[in-house]
Amino acid sequence: MTDGTTPGSLRAVSPVDDADRRILAELGAGRLGGLEDLYDRYRAMAFAIALRITADATLAEDVVQDAFLGVWRHADRYVEGRGSVKTWLLSIVHHRAIDAVRRRRPSTELPDPEVPPPPQLIAADVWPEVAGRLDAIQVRAALATLSDVQREAIELAYFGGLSQTEIAERTATPLGTVKSRMRLGLLGLRRALVGEGAEPMPEAGEP
Amino acid sequence: MNLSHDDIRDLAAGFVLGALAPEEEAAVRDHLATCREPHPEIEELGGVVPYLAASVEPVEPPAGLRDRILHAAMLARPAEGGAQAELTAAPTPAPAPLPFPTAEARAARLAGRPSRVATWAMGLAAVLAIAVLGAWNLQLQARISDVEGSLAAATAYQQGVSRVLEVAAQEGSQTALLVPADPSTSAVGLAATGADGTVVISMRDLAPTSGTQVYEAWVIVGDAAPVPLGGFIVGASGTGAFSGTTALAGPGAILALTLEPGPGATTPTAPVLTVGTLAASG
Repeated sequence: MTDGTTPGSLRAVSPVDDADRRILAELGAGRLGGLEDLYDRYRAMAFAIALRITADATLAEDVVQDAFLGVWRHADRYVEGRGSVKTWLLSIVHHRAIDAVRRRRPSTELPDPEVPPPPQLIAADVWPEVAGRLDAIQVRAALATLSDVQREAIELAYFGGLSQTEIAERTATPLGTVKSRMRLGLLGLRRALVGEGAEPMPEAGEP
Repeated sequence: MNLSHDDIRDLAAGFVLGALAPEEEAAVRDHLATCREPHPEIEELGGVVPYLAASVEPVEPPAGLRDRILHAAMLARPAEGGAQAELTAAPTPAPAPLPFPTAEARAARLAGRPSRVATWAMGLAAVLAIAVLGAWNLQLQARISDVEGSLAAATAYQQGVSRVLEVAAQEGSQTALLVPADPSTSAVGLAATGADGTVVISMRDLAPTSGTQVYEAWVIVGDAAPVPLGGFIVGASGTGAFSGTTALAGPGAILALTLEPGPGATTPTAPVLTVGTLAASG
């Protein structure tokens, strides 16, 4: 289907910068200084994501606290080469925030919050190459290249914690259409991001 | 559910966005955990997901959150496999049940070589008691909004702790931090004794009592046999409060709790659950 048109590989080259490396060493040694530095570095992004998802400042604080404490208690679960510290931390924040909003919707079946993502997913980290070159505005510009319905499907899932079935119900759209909007939206976002910020990336799909 | 690679392709977008039904998600996870072949669609689509977080404009959290997290982290040791916390093993409960002091242990204590636990408790009780209460209080405040049960537990525990602190504030008082002595419990609490012989104990995270069960408080002074102080019961909140009197509690005396099958025990019949050593609070 999309094999020939898939944008190039975005594999991480240097997933952890020196500051992250030092933070990880401190966390690994159980020193609170590492947690302080981690917090000072990423608190605003962590809080912003939690707030966007929960739309509740108190709940967002709880989520951020849980996420940082999770990192503190399980720093040994971080695997270098499988993504930046930022991605790791923010994915935990995201996961816990979604968990928190789903908990408020009793009809939703909850996934086990402690199940770590499979390595295939952790490995897919493109942040380090482009994080320095892409700011929120550029990422939003990339999102803006998607059709409204694609963006809506992705955002309802990622920020709303809705399942594909719930999105189909809410938007009165057939399930298959929702699935395909998500897939095409993610592929489109990827293409836009590679174009925006990652010029030096090898275009493996287009030799 | 057995999935083909075509199924995985079909489910990949929903999977990386966490939008599958639980049984679909479990099936994809099972497949990925056992299938050695590459799954480029998962990586291709999954690699985009972190950018969604980057599309959010950073928002400064409230200033108090930093301290709350650090306080809580001080109490939450990194898990097994992680390294020791900065407080070096201080908050680590003794791994094995702590029996009542044997004759040898008592002799050793009399000879000026107190047990490891006793030394630790005496040295840190006063400082940790306040830190533990403060940080736990903060943690609870953070969770009260969505955990109704915690509110009752917090209120009960705080009332108990208030009584302990009132006694601890008196001249000539002693305090002890009660920590788990048996792997079956994570109960902790505070105790204080006044110069007039008052003993107050406030505990949290105790298993609820049932039937005629009671938690019995004991005081052990030097070489003597444990002396019962009295019992109390614990409801679903897990908090327990005890107040009584004793003429025995002085610096170095050990306070212990056991779960007895009925009230009125004169000698412990069950393992010590939590233990602490009294030290001058002033």
